[in-house]
Formats: sequence, C-alpha cells, structure tokens
Amino acid sequence: MNRYSTAIFFMTPALLMVAAFFVAPVVITLGMSLTDMATTTGLSNWQWSGLDNYQRMVRGSFTLLILGNTIFYVVVTLAFNVVMGLGIALLSSHVEPHAGGLFRAIWLLPRISPSVVYALMWTWAAAAPPYGVINQLVEPFGVEGRYWINSDPWLIVFLINGFVGASFGMLIFTSAIKSIPEELFRAARVDGANAWQIARRITLPLLRWPILFVLTYQTMSLFASYEYILLTTNGGPGLYMTEVWSLWAFHTALSSYFGNLEFGYGAALAAVLVVMGLLVSFVLLRIFRFNDLVSDPRIEIT
Amino acid sequence: MLAGVASAALATACSTTPVPSAPAKPAEPAKPAESKPAAPAAAGAPTSAPAKPAEAAKPAADAKPAPAPTATPVVEAKASGNVSGGQAVKLTAWTIGPDAPSFYRRDNLIAAADGLNAMLEKEGSPQRVQVEATFESGGTWDAFKQKFTLAAEAKTGPDIILSGHEDLAAWSTAGYVVGLDDWLKKYEQQFADVYPSLWPAMKYKGKVYAIPQDTEARPVYYRKDLLAKLGWPKEKIDGLPEAVKKGEWAWPDLVDTAKEAIAKNVVEPGKGWYHRSSKGVDFYSWYYQNGGQMQDPESGNLVLVKDALEKYFQLHMDAVKTHKITPENFIGTEGKIWHETVTGGKVLFANAGTWTWADWIKTYKVPEQQQWDNVGFTLVPAAQKGGKPVTLSHPLVYMVTGGSKNQELAFRLIAAATTPELNSKHSVESAHLAILKSQEKDPTYQKDKFLLATGYMSEFTTFVPNHPKFGTYDEIIFRLLSAVEGGQMQPKQAVEVATTELQAQLKDDLIVK
Repeated sequence: MNRYSTAIFFMTPALLMVAAFFVAPVVITLGMSLTDMATTTGLSNWQWSGLDNYQRMVRGSFTLLILGNTIFYVVVTLAFNVVMGLGIALLSSHVEPHAGGLFRAIWLLPRISPSVVYALMWTWAAAAPPYGVINQLVEPFGVEGRYWINSDPWLIVFLINGFVGASFGMLIFTSAIKSIPEELFRAARVDGANAWQIARRITLPLLRWPILFVLTYQTMSLFASYEYILLTTNGGPGLYMTEVWSLWAFHTALSSYFGNLEFGYGAALAAVLVVMGLLVSFVLLRIFRFNDLVSDPRIEIT
Repeated sequence: MLAGVASAALATACSTTPVPSAPAKPAEPAKPAESKPAAPAAAGAPTSAPAKPAEAAKPAADAKPAPAPTATPVVEAKASGNVSGGQAVKLTAWTIGPDAPSFYRRDNLIAAADGLNAMLEKEGSPQRVQVEATFESGGTWDAFKQKFTLAAEAKTGPDIILSGHEDLAAWSTAGYVVGLDDWLKKYEQQFADVYPSLWPAMKYKGKVYAIPQDTEARPVYYRKDLLAKLGWPKEKIDGLPEAVKKGEWAWPDLVDTAKEAIAKNVVEPGKGWYHRSSKGVDFYSWYYQNGGQMQDPESGNLVLVKDALEKYFQLHMDAVKTHKITPENFIGTEGKIWHETVTGGKVLFANAGTWTWADWIKTYKVPEQQQWDNVGFTLVPAAQKGGKPVTLSHPLVYMVTGGSKNQELAFRLIAAATTPELNSKHSVESAHLAILKSQEKDPTYQKDKFLLATGYMSEFTTFVPNHPKFGTYDEIIFRLLSAVEGGQMQPKQAVEVATTELQAQLKDDLIVK
C-alpha cells in the first residue's frame, strides 16, 4: 500500500471542496476577465478582449482612490477588531467567570444577528436629525445632530464591521487564554504579580499564534467583505468615499442602476482582488513565521 | 462551461474567502429611493405582505388601496382566474413600483386576460391565456434589474418585464427583450392612440422594443403657506406655475426666494430646496435646463456638453455651499426622512415626481384637501429669465422577453392592457400621466384634477437616452455630482474628471461638446 494512501484518503474531500469552490471560480473569473462579457453581450455573444479590462482598470480615474480606500478599510478595521477582541478577552477572563461569560455573550449579539437586520439597525441609529438614536444620545452633550452615515461614513463603517469582527477575535483569544495552564497564573500571583503584569508577561506571549491566526484570517476576510458597506453607505457619500475594491467589483458586475452589468470588467476587478489576497496572506505568513507553528516540536514528550 | 457558470462564479469570486466579520451573501441595498423615490413604511404600517399566488383579479373599481410600502421589497403575486375550455397558456409578468400605489402595473395585465381571451375565442383560436404577475413595492431598481438579468440568462425569466425605457437598449442588445415592430404593424389599431411623443423613447437603433405603460413629469413642488408667510399675495402664489411656464420666473428667483425664507426664519437653513436624495434620472432636468444634450440624434451616441455640465455642477454646489438652501450631506438621505420632512411643511421647494403627489396622500397620510391648500407644483424654472422651463419624464414600459415561449400572446396581452380605462385607473391611483390620447376623455381621468393640472408639463419634457452604456455615463456623472455637493471637488475639476473618465470608458460611444 502506498505510504501516502491514508493521507490522500483523508485529504481528498477537502481538496475537492477547494477545487470546486475556490480554484474553479478563480479560473473562471480569470477567464471572464479576458472577455467583454456584459449584459449587452449576454453570456453567449461575448468575445475575448485580451487585457482590455486590465488596461481600463489602470487608466481609470478612480482606481487609486478605491485601492487606497481598501487598504485604509482593512488596516483600521483590523486594528479595531484585534485590539478590541484582545481587550475583551483579557478583561472578561480576569473577572468573575459568570460576569465574564455574560459580557462575552453581549458582545456576540452583533455576530448572531442577521447581517441585514444588524445593518438596518445601524442605519436607523445613525439616521439624520431629528431621527437617529445616536443623535438623541449625543445632543444632550451639546453635539449637533447630523446624518452620521454621510457626515462620518468611515466611522460608521469601522464601527459596524468592528463590532462584528471583534467578537471573532474575542472567541479565539478567550479560548486560547483558557488553555494556558492555570499553574502559570497561580505561580505569578504567588510571586506578587498584578493583573497587568500577568497579562503582559504570561498571557500575551502565549497568544502569539492565535493573534497570527486572527490577523491573517481577518485580513483576508476584510479584503473580500463589503456587505455592511453596501447596506449602509453603499460606497458613498461623494466620490467613492467608502467604495472598497470588492464592492467595486460587485457594483460593476452585479448591480447596475440602469441595467448594464459588466461581467468581464467586474471579473477583472475580482481577479485583482484574489491576487491581492494571495500576496498579503503570503507576506503575513512570512512575517509571522507560520512554518514555526506547523513544524515538529524540538523536544519529544513521552 | 465558461458561459454557463459565469455569473455564479463571479459572485463567488467576489467573496472567495469566508468572511468572519461579515457573512458573505449580500442583501438588498438599503438605498432610500429609486428612479421614482420609493416610499418606506408609514408609521404603523405592516412590514410585510404575504404573497397571494392564485387570487383572481378583482375588477379595478373595487381594487384594494395600495399596500403600505416598506424599505425592503414586498413582492405580491396575483393571477387571473382559471380558464375554462381551450388550451391554457400561462403568461408571467414581473412589475415594480417601487411606489406602492402603482400596483395597476400588475393588475392591468391580469385584468386584460379576460379581454384577450374573448378576442382569442372570437378568432376561433383554441388558446386561452392565464396570467400570473408580480408587483414589487418598496424595493430598489438595482435589485429588480439584477434579478431579471440573471433570470434571463438562466432562462427562468417572465414573459413580460416592466422597467424603465432606458433598459431596452442594453436588454435588446443582449436578446433579453425582443423587437415589436412586426406585431405593432399587425395590431397597429390597438396602439394608434398612444401619444406619438412617447415612441422615440421606446426605440433603439430605429426598432421598437417596448410599449409605454405610463409616463410622468417631475415638477417643483412649492409650499403655498410658506410663500404666504413671506408676504406673497394669493394671486402671485397661484400664478407661479404660469410665470414659470412663460419663463418670467427663473431659477435665480427660486434661489432668492429660498434664501429669503431662510433669512426670515420661515424655513430652517438647508430647507429652501430639496432635490432628490438618491441616484435617479431627475437630476438631468438641471443639465437640460442649462443647455445639456445626452444623445446625438444622428449617431445615437451619448453626448457630454461640458459647459452645461459645469453649470449643472455649479448650481448644485451653490445650493449647498454658497446659498445653503440645501443641506450638507444631503445625497443619501433616507427616503422616509425626505418625505416626512417635506410633507411636514418644512421645505419651501422640493423636486419629486407627479406620482409623489399620490404617494404623499396615500402613504404619508396627508389629507388631500390640505395638500391642495398648501402645496403647488410647477415646471423646473428656466436657467435664466426668458428661457425655457423644463421637466423630465421616465416612461415605464412593458417589454416582451427573449426567453418567452409565447411572445406574440405576451405582446397581445400588453395590447389588451393598453386601454384608456385600464391606464386611467393606473394614472389616477398612482398620479402618473396619460399615455393615450383617449385618456383625456376618460371619465376616470377627467375627474382627477391633479392629472389635468399637470398634463401641460409633457410639452416641456425631456428623456434620458436609450443607450446600452447609459448606466456607465450616469454612474460617473452622479458620483461627481455627489463629490461636488460634498465639497470634494470644484465644478470645473469635476467636469474635467468626468470628461477624461467618460472618454476612457465609453470611447467611440461618446461625443464631447
């Protein structure tokens, strides 16, 4: 029997899934990106157009603006997600267990809410004066009411994504903290360490790999995510102020106010997104030395 | 394979990675208003309406009042009664408001089934039609069109689709809708009554692809009570539409009046003039007002008149930044808030469609007499005194789909739904203007003084072009308008960016003047 047969047996279902739901769509998208496929051509009268779509992207007046938006969105939301997730995990792990559990459960609410409902709640909360919960909360403090989604669109985008994203980090970090041997904390307390010292000297160093995982995973996710932006600012206000690359691809390929969906050009935008995602994940895995995580242990425990 | 799975693959590629911070499936955009500002739910209104798949069409006379629309689409299906005898042919149709009172777009097709079946019987045909039609209220045009496009590609679309006339260019090129000229000749008597001015908007490259379902104008509504507070005598208030029509009262007068109202605390700052708050064709009224042209009649290419575009941008920037008669951060304001502020009597001038008149009464519960007492309507004033006022119409149209197996019957059903009786019921219920000359004499239409009072606006109307790349054109102009109003860009710079970007995107399809 081939020495790899067991591995092949277990890996095949996953490989098939990856081939069907990642590799095949990427290949088809790359193929489509080299065509002029649009509503006007239908899916049967399209023609190969070479690199026209990519040239159009490079020539476009708004390409750099949207690329900048994408990087800004990913970096700030990621920072919010990780810092907030870590903060909640640390705080809730160092308080009385029931209270910590309740606190985490509250933070999970945005995640378990249907995304459309969650986004609608934000649009209502951030509505223009005299409406909007936010206006009613801030006006007693002398802050003038405003239409927050238009006046501070990035703030709303970061918060709406951040509150959902933070709960992901919170779950991972909390479980990682729980898996740290209790003896280490007891020994630290015996030595007189306070909560901050315990967090700084014991917890955080042991959370390196979970942090790597959350950072990498959420970076990739944020590159591809646009739903909450679509449902709140829809890429506006003004000149593509909050339009990110994935939303641009969606708008181009699948959402046209006047009916002409540009599948080919949208595919080219999506293809660039895939390449961006692969590059960034490669860089992140190199920076965090992912190979160390999956390498064999240097000592053997018997 | 490439063709077969293309759109699904693209959707997948847009979210190739699982999204922990946001579930992958996008939902309907929560945009407030569409080409005709959609009205969200009135207070206390139901938030959903169950579909009624097989309810027989009721006579229009006892038609139910319009369901209150919601921010998310409510799709309500209806069907004509079962046919007895003959060979039943099922015809399907998708229609949309999004304004809730426009449900006759569906109901008229269903009501027409009986008439068509009578004709078929008379002709000795064994066929009898059975109609199933949906009406979508409260949704968005983008989502409706996306649904139809993908359904057309998947060969699961309806026999008849209702949409804006401008869609016929892209959809006919793709084969989603078919040319109607042969049938128009064969059944010409049934369409002899359509206003000739509407036919150009039904054509692309000389061929007819659509039948008008309704039309409208987009007036400036003004508050009579607020003008009275400014000291205007009744005669001047009531004579405003005539003064605008003659070009005696022009855009600078509107701006000055709005500024005066703010200065005298008759309205709050930013509430002198409300334009539309979301994407839509309405904005082009001011482009036309300033000498704009959108399509070259000879070549059919799209046209950009730089001087008119700059004036159009300048006018909007001045309204927000210089005169402060329109609020900051206005584009994107939720439709419900827009309508409630306007119907609350807080805005001096507001631009909307004729259908909005009915929407305010039916959805926003403004007593009709009170609306007549306090609200007037006029054309969009000329750019300068002595100029020509303007409005814009956006006829909605019925089209026969390429995927229909019964295209001629579908066409004949549309013909049977195009009668003065049925169209007048729709016009009166939803405040849309007549498409048939004989509607002027229809008793139902004649009783509606609003329709009679706005009918003259058709003489001043303009249309957006039928061109497959109009969506690209509009996207760039609208985004730059938003940028100008938001203070991101000066009008001159916006014109240069628009020119560069449109030339890059549209190439030979654009003429710059």
